[in-house]
Amino acid sequence: MNAINPTSLKRRSFIYRELVKLGAAFGEVNGAAVALNFGATREAELASARRLALADLSVLPHAGFKGRGTAEWLTAQGLSIGPDSNIAYGQAGGELAARLAPAEIFLLDSLAGSGALMQRLNSAWKWAEAAPRPQQGYPLPRQDSHGWFMLAGEFAPEMFSKMCGVDLRRDRFADGQIAQTSVAKMGAIIIRADRKVKYGRAHAAYHVLADIASAEYLWSCLLDAGEEFGIKPVGLTALRDLEQ
Amino acid sequence: MKVMNCPLNGPRNISEFAWGGEVKPMPDPATMGDKEWAAWLFLEANEAGLVREWWCHVPTSYWFIAERNNITDEIIKTYPATELFNTRVEFAAKAPSGSGEKK
Repeated sequence: MNAINPTSLKRRSFIYRELVKLGAAFGEVNGAAVALNFGATREAELASARRLALADLSVLPHAGFKGRGTAEWLTAQGLSIGPDSNIAYGQAGGELAARLAPAEIFLLDSLAGSGALMQRLNSAWKWAEAAPRPQQGYPLPRQDSHGWFMLAGEFAPEMFSKMCGVDLRRDRFADGQIAQTSVAKMGAIIIRADRKVKYGRAHAAYHVLADIASAEYLWSCLLDAGEEFGIKPVGLTALRDLEQ
Repeated sequence: MKVMNCPLNGPRNISEFAWGGEVKPMPDPATMGDKEWAAWLFLEANEAGLVREWWCHVPTSYWFIAERNNITDEIIKTYPATELFNTRVEFAAKAPSGSGEKK
Protein backbone atom coordinates (compact mmCIF):
# COMPACT_ATOMS: atom_id res chain seq x y z
CA MET A 1 0.00 0.00 0.00
CA ASN A 2 1.44 3.36 -0.98
CA ALA A 3 1.72 6.12 1.56
CA ILE A 4 -0.86 8.85 1.13
CA ASN A 5 -1.46 12.28 2.56
CA PRO A 6 -4.30 11.94 5.10
CA THR A 7 -5.86 15.21 3.99
CA SER A 8 -6.39 13.71 0.53
CA LEU A 9 -9.22 11.65 2.04
CA LYS A 10 -12.42 12.98 3.59
CA ARG A 11 -12.51 10.32 6.30
CA ARG A 12 -9.66 10.57 8.76
CA SER A 13 -9.22 10.25 12.47
CA PHE A 14 -9.98 13.16 14.81
CA ILE A 15 -6.39 12.88 16.01
CA TYR A 16 -4.69 12.55 12.63
CA ARG A 17 -2.64 15.71 13.26
CA GLU A 18 -1.19 14.07 16.37
CA LEU A 19 -0.40 10.98 14.35
CA VAL A 20 1.33 13.08 11.68
CA LYS A 21 3.46 14.72 14.38
CA LEU A 22 4.50 11.25 15.58
CA GLY A 23 5.65 10.36 12.06
CA ALA A 24 2.76 8.22 10.86
CA ALA A 25 2.64 6.88 7.31
CA PHE A 26 -0.97 6.66 6.16
CA GLY A 27 -2.74 4.31 3.80
CA GLU A 28 -6.32 3.97 2.64
CA VAL A 29 -8.62 1.42 4.23
CA ASN A 30 -12.21 1.42 3.02
CA GLY A 31 -12.02 5.08 1.95
CA ALA A 32 -10.45 6.32 5.18
CA ALA A 33 -6.92 7.41 6.06
CA VAL A 34 -5.40 4.98 8.56
CA ALA A 35 -1.94 5.18 10.14
CA LEU A 36 -0.20 2.04 8.85
CA ASN A 37 3.16 2.51 10.57
CA PHE A 38 5.27 5.10 12.33
CA GLY A 39 8.43 4.87 10.29
CA ALA A 40 10.14 2.12 12.29
CA THR A 41 11.07 -1.21 10.73
CA ARG A 42 8.47 -3.95 10.70
CA GLU A 43 10.37 -5.90 13.35
CA ALA A 44 10.72 -2.86 15.61
CA GLU A 45 6.97 -2.08 15.42
CA LEU A 46 6.12 -5.71 16.09
CA ALA A 47 8.42 -5.71 19.11
CA SER A 48 6.68 -2.56 20.39
CA ALA A 49 3.28 -4.14 19.86
CA ARG A 50 4.37 -7.13 21.95
CA ARG A 51 5.74 -4.93 24.71
CA LEU A 52 3.39 -1.93 24.89
CA ALA A 53 1.95 0.05 22.01
CA LEU A 54 -1.00 2.26 21.19
CA ALA A 55 -2.78 2.36 17.85
CA ASP A 56 -5.59 4.53 16.53
CA LEU A 57 -8.34 2.55 14.80
CA SER A 58 -11.00 5.29 14.95
CA VAL A 59 -11.75 5.30 11.23
CA LEU A 60 -12.26 1.55 10.96
CA PRO A 61 -15.95 0.62 10.72
CA HIS A 62 -17.86 0.33 13.98
CA ALA A 63 -21.58 0.52 14.61
CA GLY A 64 -24.23 -0.17 17.21
CA PHE A 65 -27.69 -1.63 17.59
CA LYS A 66 -29.91 -1.09 20.58
CA GLY A 67 -33.38 -1.62 21.96
CA ARG A 68 -35.61 -4.51 22.88
CA GLY A 69 -35.29 -7.33 20.34
CA THR A 70 -31.85 -6.23 19.12
CA ALA A 71 -30.01 -9.44 19.99
CA GLU A 72 -32.76 -11.54 18.40
CA TRP A 73 -32.74 -9.44 15.23
CA LEU A 74 -28.96 -9.62 14.90
CA THR A 75 -29.06 -13.38 15.50
CA ALA A 76 -31.60 -13.67 12.70
CA GLN A 77 -29.10 -11.80 10.50
CA GLY A 78 -26.56 -14.54 11.12
CA LEU A 79 -24.55 -13.13 14.00
CA SER A 80 -23.69 -15.31 16.95
CA ILE A 81 -24.46 -13.53 20.19
CA GLY A 82 -24.36 -15.24 23.56
CA PRO A 83 -26.63 -14.58 26.53
CA ASP A 84 -24.21 -12.71 28.80
CA SER A 85 -23.72 -8.96 28.89
CA ASN A 86 -20.26 -7.42 29.03
CA ILE A 87 -18.87 -10.12 26.73
CA ALA A 88 -17.67 -9.55 23.16
CA TYR A 89 -18.66 -12.38 20.84
CA GLY A 90 -16.42 -13.16 17.85
CA GLN A 91 -18.07 -13.36 14.43
CA ALA A 92 -17.26 -15.37 11.34
CA GLY A 93 -15.47 -12.52 9.57
CA GLY A 94 -13.34 -11.62 12.60
CA GLU A 95 -15.72 -8.87 13.74
CA LEU A 96 -16.69 -8.50 17.38
CA ALA A 97 -20.25 -8.12 18.65
CA ALA A 98 -19.81 -6.56 22.07
CA ARG A 99 -22.90 -7.05 24.21
CA LEU A 100 -22.84 -3.94 26.42
CA ALA A 101 -26.24 -4.68 27.97
CA PRO A 102 -29.02 -7.22 27.36
CA ALA A 103 -30.38 -5.02 24.55
CA GLU A 104 -27.31 -3.17 23.31
CA ILE A 105 -24.66 -4.39 20.89
CA PHE A 106 -21.53 -2.53 19.80
CA LEU A 107 -20.05 -3.93 16.59
CA LEU A 108 -16.36 -3.63 15.82
CA ASP A 109 -15.00 -4.60 12.44
CA SER A 110 -12.00 -6.89 12.09
CA LEU A 111 -8.65 -5.23 11.46
CA ALA A 112 -9.20 -5.84 7.73
CA GLY A 113 -11.71 -2.98 8.04
CA SER A 114 -13.86 -3.73 5.00
CA GLY A 115 -17.06 -2.76 6.81
CA ALA A 116 -18.94 -5.50 4.94
CA LEU A 117 -20.92 -6.72 7.96
CA MET A 118 -21.97 -3.21 9.07
CA GLN A 119 -23.02 -2.37 5.53
CA ARG A 120 -25.07 -5.52 5.22
CA LEU A 121 -26.79 -4.95 8.58
CA ASN A 122 -27.50 -1.28 7.94
CA SER A 123 -29.14 -2.03 4.62
CA ALA A 124 -31.09 -4.98 6.08
CA TRP A 125 -32.56 -2.98 8.95
CA LYS A 126 -35.79 -1.06 8.45
CA TRP A 127 -38.87 -0.17 10.43
CA ALA A 128 -41.86 -2.33 9.83
CA GLU A 129 -44.38 -0.35 7.74
CA ALA A 130 -47.25 -0.40 10.21
CA ALA A 131 -48.01 -0.90 13.86
CA PRO A 132 -47.71 -3.11 15.78
CA ARG A 133 -44.01 -2.96 14.99
CA PRO A 134 -42.01 -6.01 15.95
CA GLN A 135 -39.42 -5.60 18.68
CA GLN A 136 -36.23 -5.53 16.64
CA GLY A 137 -34.19 -2.70 18.13
CA TYR A 138 -32.76 0.11 16.04
CA PRO A 139 -29.36 1.15 14.64
CA LEU A 140 -27.30 3.36 16.91
CA PRO A 141 -24.61 5.14 14.89
CA ARG A 142 -21.26 4.74 16.62
CA GLN A 143 -18.81 5.54 13.82
CA ASP A 144 -18.50 9.21 14.74
CA SER A 145 -19.44 9.03 18.39
CA HIS A 146 -16.63 6.83 19.63
CA GLY A 147 -12.89 7.03 19.17
CA TRP A 148 -11.33 3.59 18.91
CA PHE A 149 -7.83 2.81 20.13
CA MET A 150 -6.03 -0.45 20.66
CA LEU A 151 -3.57 -0.89 23.47
CA ALA A 152 -1.42 -3.94 22.84
CA GLY A 153 1.39 -5.64 24.67
CA GLU A 154 2.49 -7.44 27.77
CA PHE A 155 2.50 -4.29 29.91
CA ALA A 156 -1.01 -3.14 28.98
CA PRO A 157 -2.71 -4.43 32.19
CA GLU A 158 -0.05 -2.86 34.36
CA MET A 159 -0.45 0.44 32.56
CA PHE A 160 -4.25 0.34 32.83
CA SER A 161 -3.96 -0.15 36.59
CA LYS A 162 -2.69 3.42 36.77
CA MET A 163 -5.76 4.94 35.16
CA CYS A 164 -8.71 2.63 35.69
CA GLY A 165 -10.31 0.94 38.71
CA VAL A 166 -11.06 -2.45 37.13
CA ASP A 167 -8.55 -5.29 37.42
CA LEU A 168 -7.57 -6.03 33.82
CA ARG A 169 -4.78 -8.51 34.48
CA ARG A 170 -4.83 -11.44 32.12
CA ASP A 171 -5.68 -13.99 34.79
CA ARG A 172 -8.58 -11.90 36.11
CA PHE A 173 -10.05 -10.41 32.95
CA ALA A 174 -10.57 -13.05 30.27
CA ASP A 175 -10.27 -12.64 26.52
CA GLY A 176 -13.54 -11.21 25.21
CA GLN A 177 -14.54 -9.67 28.53
CA ILE A 178 -15.77 -6.06 28.55
CA ALA A 179 -15.29 -3.42 31.22
CA GLN A 180 -17.39 -0.29 30.93
CA THR A 181 -15.68 1.98 33.34
CA SER A 182 -13.83 5.19 33.84
CA VAL A 183 -10.39 5.57 32.24
CA ALA A 184 -8.44 8.74 32.99
CA LYS A 185 -11.70 10.14 34.45
CA MET A 186 -13.55 9.50 31.19
CA GLY A 187 -16.27 6.96 30.57
CA ALA A 188 -14.78 4.26 28.34
CA ILE A 189 -15.37 0.75 27.10
CA ILE A 190 -12.46 -1.67 27.34
CA ILE A 191 -12.63 -4.98 25.49
CA ARG A 192 -9.91 -7.57 25.82
CA ALA A 193 -9.20 -8.85 22.33
CA ASP A 194 -5.99 -10.86 22.31
CA ARG A 195 -4.18 -11.22 19.04
CA LYS A 196 -4.06 -14.98 18.49
CA VAL A 197 -1.07 -16.74 17.00
CA LYS A 198 -0.77 -20.21 15.50
CA TYR A 199 1.79 -21.38 18.03
CA GLY A 200 2.42 -20.10 21.52
CA ARG A 201 0.67 -17.64 23.77
CA ALA A 202 -1.64 -14.99 22.30
CA HIS A 203 -0.52 -11.37 22.51
CA ALA A 204 -2.40 -9.24 25.00
CA ALA A 205 -4.49 -6.50 23.38
CA TYR A 206 -7.37 -4.29 24.49
CA HIS A 207 -9.79 -2.16 22.51
CA VAL A 208 -10.47 1.20 24.12
CA LEU A 209 -13.62 3.04 23.01
CA ALA A 210 -14.46 6.48 24.31
CA ASP A 211 -16.18 9.74 23.41
CA ILE A 212 -14.57 10.94 20.21
CA ALA A 213 -14.70 14.60 21.21
CA SER A 214 -12.07 13.79 23.83
CA ALA A 215 -10.00 11.49 21.63
CA GLU A 216 -6.98 13.78 21.65
CA TYR A 217 -7.07 14.00 25.45
CA LEU A 218 -7.37 10.24 25.91
CA TRP A 219 -4.67 9.53 23.33
CA SER A 220 -2.24 11.82 25.17
CA CYS A 221 -3.24 10.34 28.57
CA LEU A 222 -2.59 6.81 27.35
CA LEU A 223 0.79 7.74 25.88
CA ASP A 224 1.68 9.56 29.08
CA ALA A 225 0.68 6.63 31.30
CA GLY A 226 2.69 4.22 29.17
CA GLU A 227 5.84 6.27 29.13
CA GLU A 228 7.46 4.44 32.03
CA PHE A 229 6.93 1.16 30.16
CA GLY A 230 8.38 2.54 26.92
CA ILE A 231 5.06 2.81 25.03
CA LYS A 232 5.25 3.48 21.29
CA PRO A 233 2.57 4.38 18.77
CA VAL A 234 2.16 1.67 16.16
CA GLY A 235 0.17 1.43 12.97
CA LEU A 236 -2.47 -0.96 11.75
CA THR A 237 0.11 -3.11 9.96
CA ALA A 238 1.87 -4.13 13.17
CA LEU A 239 -1.44 -5.10 14.80
CA ARG A 240 -2.40 -7.16 11.78
CA ASP A 241 1.01 -8.84 11.67
CA LEU A 242 0.84 -9.71 15.37
CA GLU A 243 -1.77 -12.28 14.49
CA GLN A 244 0.38 -14.61 12.43
CA MET B 1 -12.53 3.72 47.90
CA LYS B 2 -16.12 2.72 48.64
CA VAL B 3 -17.37 0.10 46.21
CA MET B 4 -20.90 -0.26 44.87
CA ASN B 5 -22.17 -3.32 43.06
CA CYS B 6 -23.69 -2.39 39.70
CA PRO B 7 -26.24 -5.01 38.56
CA LEU B 8 -24.85 -4.74 35.00
CA ASN B 9 -21.14 -4.15 35.51
CA GLY B 10 -20.31 -5.65 38.89
CA PRO B 11 -18.42 -4.01 41.74
CA ARG B 12 -17.07 -0.58 40.85
CA ASN B 13 -15.62 2.45 42.59
CA ILE B 14 -18.32 4.71 44.01
CA SER B 15 -16.86 7.58 41.93
CA GLU B 16 -18.37 5.92 38.84
CA PHE B 17 -21.92 6.34 40.20
CA ALA B 18 -24.35 9.21 40.46
CA TRP B 19 -27.33 9.45 42.80
CA GLY B 20 -30.71 9.85 41.15
CA GLY B 21 -33.19 10.46 43.95
CA GLU B 22 -35.67 8.33 45.84
CA VAL B 23 -37.89 5.76 44.21
CA LYS B 24 -41.41 7.14 44.58
CA PRO B 25 -44.68 5.85 43.19
CA MET B 26 -45.85 8.03 40.32
CA PRO B 27 -49.17 9.76 40.94
CA ASP B 28 -51.84 9.41 38.29
CA PRO B 29 -51.07 12.20 35.81
CA ALA B 30 -54.73 12.43 34.78
CA THR B 31 -55.99 13.32 38.24
CA MET B 32 -53.00 15.06 39.80
CA GLY B 33 -52.69 18.80 40.02
CA ASP B 34 -49.52 20.69 39.16
CA LYS B 35 -48.51 20.95 42.81
CA GLU B 36 -48.54 17.22 43.44
CA TRP B 37 -46.80 16.62 40.14
CA ALA B 38 -44.03 19.06 41.02
CA ALA B 39 -43.74 17.49 44.47
CA TRP B 40 -43.31 14.07 42.92
CA LEU B 41 -40.67 15.37 40.55
CA PHE B 42 -38.63 17.56 42.84
CA LEU B 43 -39.28 16.87 46.54
CA GLU B 44 -37.58 14.14 48.52
CA ALA B 45 -38.85 12.62 51.77
CA ASN B 46 -35.22 12.57 52.96
CA GLU B 47 -35.81 9.95 55.62
CA ALA B 48 -33.16 8.53 57.88
CA GLY B 49 -32.79 4.78 57.76
CA LEU B 50 -33.41 2.27 55.05
CA VAL B 51 -34.02 4.03 51.72
CA ARG B 52 -34.66 2.90 48.18
CA GLU B 53 -32.98 5.09 45.56
CA TRP B 54 -32.18 5.46 41.90
CA TRP B 55 -28.50 5.26 41.06
CA CYS B 56 -26.73 5.57 37.72
CA HIS B 57 -23.51 3.91 36.62
CA VAL B 58 -22.23 6.90 34.68
CA PRO B 59 -19.83 5.25 32.17
CA THR B 60 -22.69 3.09 30.89
CA SER B 61 -25.62 5.42 31.72
CA TYR B 62 -27.19 2.39 33.38
CA TRP B 63 -29.94 3.25 35.88
CA PHE B 64 -30.73 0.78 38.62
CA ILE B 65 -32.14 0.69 42.14
CA ALA B 66 -30.15 0.55 45.34
CA GLU B 67 -31.36 -0.02 48.87
CA ARG B 68 -29.12 1.44 51.49
CA ASN B 69 -29.04 2.46 55.08
CA ASN B 70 -28.14 6.11 55.13
CA ILE B 71 -27.48 6.11 58.88
CA THR B 72 -24.75 3.48 58.76
CA ASP B 73 -23.89 4.29 55.12
CA GLU B 74 -24.25 0.66 54.06
CA ILE B 75 -25.44 -0.49 50.67
CA ILE B 76 -27.85 -3.34 51.38
CA LYS B 77 -28.54 -4.42 47.82
CA THR B 78 -28.72 -3.25 44.23
CA TYR B 79 -30.88 -4.62 41.45
CA PRO B 80 -32.13 -3.77 37.93
CA ALA B 81 -35.07 -1.35 37.73
CA THR B 82 -37.02 -3.97 35.78
CA GLU B 83 -37.59 -5.80 39.07
CA LEU B 84 -39.87 -2.97 40.20
CA PHE B 85 -41.01 -1.57 36.87
CA ASN B 86 -42.08 -4.58 34.88
CA THR B 87 -45.24 -3.43 33.19
CA ARG B 88 -45.72 -0.75 30.59
CA VAL B 89 -47.49 2.37 31.83
CA GLU B 90 -50.12 3.62 29.41
CA PHE B 91 -50.99 7.29 29.49
CA ALA B 92 -54.53 8.03 28.44
CA ALA B 93 -54.73 11.30 26.52
CA LYS B 94 -56.26 14.00 28.66
CA ALA B 95 -59.53 15.44 27.39
CA PRO B 96 -58.76 18.86 25.86
CA SER B 97 -59.75 21.65 28.20
CA GLY B 98 -61.63 24.78 27.11
CA SER B 99 -64.50 25.06 24.69
CA GLY B 100 -64.80 23.68 21.24
CA GLU B 101 -64.12 20.29 19.80
CA LYS B 102 -60.67 19.15 18.79
CA LYS B 103 -60.47 19.01 15.03
